Amino acid sequence: MNLALLADVAAGGLLLGGLYALIAVGLNLQYGLMRVLNVAHGEFLMLGGYLTYLLHVNLGMDPLLSLAVSAPVAFAGGVAVHVLLYRRLLRQERTREELEANSLLISFGLLFILQNGALLLFSADIRGYQYLDRPLRLLGTVFPTNRVVAFATAAAVTALLVLFLRRTLTGTAVRALMQDPVGARLIGVRVPRVHALCFGLGVGLAAVSGSLLSMLFELTPFVGLPYTITALVVIILGGLGSVGGSLLGGLILGVVEALGVYFTAPDLRMVISYAVLALVLVLRPYGLFNTMARRPGQAGPA
Amino acid sequence: MGTSIARRSFLKIAGGTAAATWLPRGAGAQSPIRIGFTLSATGPYAVGAGITQRPNYDLWLDQVNAKGGLAVAGGSRRPIQFVEHDDRSEIETAVRLYEKMANDDKVDLLLPPWGTAMNFAVAPVANKAGYPMIGPTVGSLKLKDLNLPYFYAVLAQPDAMMLSLANFLKDVKGPQKLNRVAVIYVNDLFGLEHHGALMPLLKDGGFEVVEVKSYPLGVKDLTDVLKGIKAKGAEILVGLSYPPDTILATTQAKAVDFSPAVFYTAVGTAFPFYRDRFKGGAEGVTGVGAWNPKVKYPGARAYFDAHVAKHKKEPDRWASAFAYATLQILEASVGAVGLDRARIKAHLDATEFTTVVGPVRFAKGVNSATPGMVGQWQKGEFEVVWPPERATAKAVVPKPNWQ
Repeated sequence: MNLALLADVAAGGLLLGGLYALIAVGLNLQYGLMRVLNVAHGEFLMLGGYLTYLLHVNLGMDPLLSLAVSAPVAFAGGVAVHVLLYRRLLRQERTREELEANSLLISFGLLFILQNGALLLFSADIRGYQYLDRPLRLLGTVFPTNRVVAFATAAAVTALLVLFLRRTLTGTAVRALMQDPVGARLIGVRVPRVHALCFGLGVGLAAVSGSLLSMLFELTPFVGLPYTITALVVIILGGLGSVGGSLLGGLILGVVEALGVYFTAPDLRMVISYAVLALVLVLRPYGLFNTMARRPGQAGPA
Repeated sequence: MGTSIARRSFLKIAGGTAAATWLPRGAGAQSPIRIGFTLSATGPYAVGAGITQRPNYDLWLDQVNAKGGLAVAGGSRRPIQFVEHDDRSEIETAVRLYEKMANDDKVDLLLPPWGTAMNFAVAPVANKAGYPMIGPTVGSLKLKDLNLPYFYAVLAQPDAMMLSLANFLKDVKGPQKLNRVAVIYVNDLFGLEHHGALMPLLKDGGFEVVEVKSYPLGVKDLTDVLKGIKAKGAEILVGLSYPPDTILATTQAKAVDFSPAVFYTAVGTAFPFYRDRFKGGAEGVTGVGAWNPKVKYPGARAYFDAHVAKHKKEPDRWASAFAYATLQILEASVGAVGLDRARIKAHLDATEFTTVVGPVRFAKGVNSATPGMVGQWQKGEFEVVWPPERATAKAVVPKPNWQ
């Protein structure tokens, strides 16, 4: 067994894992806060990718620079979707099960609308562009340059998000609401606003991930769903509602997948992901890094 | 879908009227010929369907209806009307829709869906209902085993296609001192059958096979596989791939700096998209195929120009022209024997057709007049480089490094 090649493969997995983490964090922010499971997450990712593609190919904008466009546009779009579709649902006092079921239905509807809208707009043709696709020699091996750049960007965006959650008053309100919805309300957190903000953030993060992924992979209107599934695996791995857990979960999944695929075949990538998922569900049903089990306010119905 | 509902209610009204009042025979001559098919507008097959088949169906419909309709033997021209559905890249959906079109809608003719696995699944339905069906995008030897007399395949099948690849490789092996081959293939009927056909030929050719890996349809990442192949020193890469993974394998081979002397990928290599996507990087890439507007068959250039004029994009350099050829064959058959499907079948079995891909002749349902071919991107055109008697240019081996 060639150890250098093994390390090489693992490092490649880590790079992709960084992107998995970013995708999952956005989804987890929405679910952790509102119990809204947005299965159209991947569709927002796909739209972010197309936006970057269009800006790069038609206006010659640097794909990295296009993040400055795709992130705010998606954020605004996310807030609008929240106001139009989810606000009423969240306002009505229902059980968590009902909320989860109904929000799931809405997001399934969104998924089909966005996917077919993209199909009408962009057709089923594969789209892509070349960006930093030269090999980068690093630590005695080669990596695709764009993958390293995408990873670094994802890491920077995640760091910003963590700073926002830890260091700002709004971020504190978000965390308060995640930990204890009733308590947060009592101390005067404006819940609908924080909800809208977080939904917007989630969509914005999806779009940023999509913009980054469009540097690496081709786009079709159907690229979204597999990423939603990957994000779900990561979230369950790291723990529902845990941002730090999603980060570690993403990196772990990236490495496990890369090594698993290397030793078996790419055919088995999904099998490997699901095996990891099943293992975690059996051994640590609340996720590898989640402390949710210890929080009585979250364990039962809210 | 909206149109199909409108059409259905139209038919209901038309049917009711026809039953209530006796129509003179002549009125029937003006009614449209209804041709049914499904194409994947969504799902993983949508890319191939949207590039290779859909534009040609639409082009043909326009051309025929502009002439006043399809000429039917012993009658006048009748306009064509498509009865079409999205099969969503789901095989069971396609089968259900073909059953409906054949048994309930009773369309006049059927056209095939896109892709080997799809054709494989719906061919028995068409065959049972007695609809001749000429598949432009199907490569499967197992189809022969199903014994479907009404199904025809116009592309060179896996045995012929892989034989031509193996012969091409043997031809460059000696002078270039190439020996180590790596094979990756998509885990779909197309990849499985071509892999099955290729492996014994590589063995007979004395090649050293350093790696064989399959990957699933819709695979996202091949970098690790390609890194492994590079580490094993492969000089020839054969990818028995579908469009999205053809692009993926090329992008990622480039990104991990793996540039073997022969880089061969399958479906999608011949798409103009591939050339436009990789620009200089496409130079020297070989692929399954091939066809280009320089071939000397009647109507080839006119077809190319009409496709560009209608769709504002070039046809792909392999199966697009074959898809159009199947429509030419159908048109010629209806012109010769009318809409009686048994007679169309007899005509298909007995006739050599002139098409934009050259002469086509079916022997036991397989086009025996077109050999397997290898194409190569050279300065913006997908040149036919093998076999020599069909070649439009000489192969460039080793391929230049990625640009």
